[in-house]
Amino acid sequence: MNNSINLRDIDAELQKESPQKILAHALEQHDNIAISFSGAEDIVLVDMAVKIRPDVPVFCLDTGRLHAETYQFINLVREHYKLKIDVLFPDASAVQKLVREKGLYSFYKDNHQECCGIRKVGPLRKKLLELDAWVTGQRKDQSPGTRAAIPVIQEDKLFAREGETLTKFNPLANWTSTQVWEYIRAFDVPYNPLHDNGFKSIGCEPCTRPTNPGQHEREGRWWWEEATKKECGLHLDNVSPGK
Amino acid sequence: MKITLVKKILADGSPCPKCNDVLDKLETSGQMTRIDQVVVADERDTSSEGMQLAAKYAVERAPFFIVEREGNEPLIYTVYMKFVKEVLEQETEEADELKEIMSDNQDLDFL
Repeated sequence: MNNSINLRDIDAELQKESPQKILAHALEQHDNIAISFSGAEDIVLVDMAVKIRPDVPVFCLDTGRLHAETYQFINLVREHYKLKIDVLFPDASAVQKLVREKGLYSFYKDNHQECCGIRKVGPLRKKLLELDAWVTGQRKDQSPGTRAAIPVIQEDKLFAREGETLTKFNPLANWTSTQVWEYIRAFDVPYNPLHDNGFKSIGCEPCTRPTNPGQHEREGRWWWEEATKKECGLHLDNVSPGK
Repeated sequence: MKITLVKKILADGSPCPKCNDVLDKLETSGQMTRIDQVVVADERDTSSEGMQLAAKYAVERAPFFIVEREGNEPLIYTVYMKFVKEVLEQETEEADELKEIMSDNQDLDFL
């Protein structure tokens, strides 16, 4: 609990800082840290990080359902930055079981959580058991409903090794999509060509579609599912920790 | 060992759907007898016992389980499938646990 409180204090400080400063703090504080790179506009994180630590560890979650352009882009990033990107794969037997029982497009009927759980969360959880800290490209503006309160630093209790601490950094939390693209253009950062074809958000091929100008990027993902989301959070803002 | 289940009452006074779902599963499987106490986290009352426990253990979602064993720090479980596997020693599918994690943590959507 003390660690959570300390991190909240640090978060309050880092909220005012640039993504580069937050990344520098993360990389200074943790040797055993890695960046989660999705093959989309979170490339800016990789670009910023290699300027601080050229051999920064980076991993990608290869769900097996990404666009061909995303695979090509991940490889381009690997070569451009001379990085040994760790590409993580889902458990083959779990995918086989899902596909055997429910087919290749079960998410259109059941929603995406089961498929994402097997193809993304499983390998992510396994990877995070090796780390003391990780970095994501999550931004508040990606989904006002679910990401409005993203801290720039937080204790990740969900994926921490038992009895140990895992710290999660979200350096882009306070940046907007516009700022990300200004950075990409200003520093001539390579980007996924799907963005030129109307894809604001890029995930798996069957679950991602281009959006029209004015549409929120969330509308390009899992568009067939209900907009209403289950509310499980506890609103603790006004509660003091017990003694 | 003492097991406490903290369930939530929403700000509008209605019960949290996931808490109901978990309670149903525990009842159906006969495992409710393993739960020593059920405490309410009432969003309308920050002094409610469950809200205080959530604050004490820095838990931000419900339902959650507090497992206390003599001489050890309490263990907190926010993932039901992980709780039943590790504490109640029920056989579970990893895919079910991962699905629950994904459903409860929508910030993982964009990874």
